Amino acid sequence: MLPLLMAVIAGPEERALVLRLQRRDPQALAELYDRYGRMAYSLVLRVVRDGAIAEDLVQETFLRVWNRVHSIDSEKGSLGPWLLAIARNRAIDYLRSSAGRERKAVELDETDHAPLYSGMEADILISDQARRVKVAMEKLAPNYRTVMELAYFEGLSQSEMAVQMGQPLGTIKTWVRTALQSLRDELGVVAS
Amino acid sequence: MNCEELREHYELYALDIAEEPERSEVRAHLQRECEVCMAGVKRALETAALVGATAPQAQPSAKLRRRILASVGSEERRSSGLPWWAAALAMAALLVIAVYFAASSNRYREQAARLRGEMGAQAGQIARLTQAFAILSGPRTTEVSFGGAQPRPPAGKVFVNPSRGVLLIASNLPRTAADKIYEMWLIPRGAKPVPAGLFQSQDDGSALHVRPGLVDVASTAAVAVTLENQAGADQPTTTPLIMAALPATNP
Repeated sequence: MLPLLMAVIAGPEERALVLRLQRRDPQALAELYDRYGRMAYSLVLRVVRDGAIAEDLVQETFLRVWNRVHSIDSEKGSLGPWLLAIARNRAIDYLRSSAGRERKAVELDETDHAPLYSGMEADILISDQARRVKVAMEKLAPNYRTVMELAYFEGLSQSEMAVQMGQPLGTIKTWVRTALQSLRDELGVVAS
Repeated sequence: MNCEELREHYELYALDIAEEPERSEVRAHLQRECEVCMAGVKRALETAALVGATAPQAQPSAKLRRRILASVGSEERRSSGLPWWAAALAMAALLVIAVYFAASSNRYREQAARLRGEMGAQAGQIARLTQAFAILSGPRTTEVSFGGAQPRPPAGKVFVNPSRGVLLIASNLPRTAADKIYEMWLIPRGAKPVPAGLFQSQDDGSALHVRPGLVDVASTAAVAVTLENQAGADQPTTTPLIMAALPATNP
């Protein structure tokens, strides 16, 4: 709970934190860890299911942020979602290599996509939207929730999910679409 | 494809499960900074991040914070675990004793200085062993043996962990001249060797050397050791005595 409270309190200071990271202030990295470390660890642990490996990957995540923070716009950048995307990518990458699964031809590169994290709410990860997504995930029918979890936490493509769940690809695609629509409805988002 | 056709693929793209040709199309729109697709994918990335935040809350060990800060050279690395605390407390006690004795006589001062030196050396040794243990116990450590086939080899093992560093354990190292020192190198594929620290062998020819920190294992071809002048070198100046080739990993 503490990291969440810290995130609420520190939300308005996000821009200053980005600037300090860009100026290579190690104390800023400590604050970033205090704010998002537990959240990143929870996410990575959910993916790799091994505490020691999760800690290694979280360390790599924070070092990646440290080394690439210049790609974030200090005026508008939101560190939390970006950091979680990096953490998730590291974890999925590990999962795929350790399972001997091929990496995807075009990987979602978080550095290329850094501008996309501009303008997000600094405290989106602890906002009412976060609570609503959590509720929406819990309310999803088991099959819909499973495909969302396989996609996000296992990094499976829709074809891989079809094999794992023993379902036709078309069925999986329908489940994914429906699950996403449910999340959208819960958040009150109209498809762009 | 136009933005209208792509909009229902933004979330799939953000979850990294979009299929071709939509994946490449979305990427192409983003690369040319298409405002419609940028806004759509941004919203989808927000939702993806929120899904990530639904993972059950877990607590990392207290050491993780210190490890992360140490890896960027923060001072907080000095407090990494019980042995350090013990060493620090012992050091503090020793300093108090040193001050007391210093006031008494030169002999006590000399003794205190010697003890301080020994404590400092022990603290350094504890740090090195702690780093070595972290590499040995790392879940992603690669182990490579070297020197087994040579007639009178420096033989031993190299342990490489992508986030914890490189550990070299060697035996049968030749005695070095007073102005010489061993230097370890990380040899990237297709690039110049990178210095990885200086060390001396023990009288019995054994050595343990640690280069802590991140290692790009996939792009590292080998770990080598050369004999260099006391100050070390930027690039190897002699033929390696040790050459441990790392197995190729998936890109």
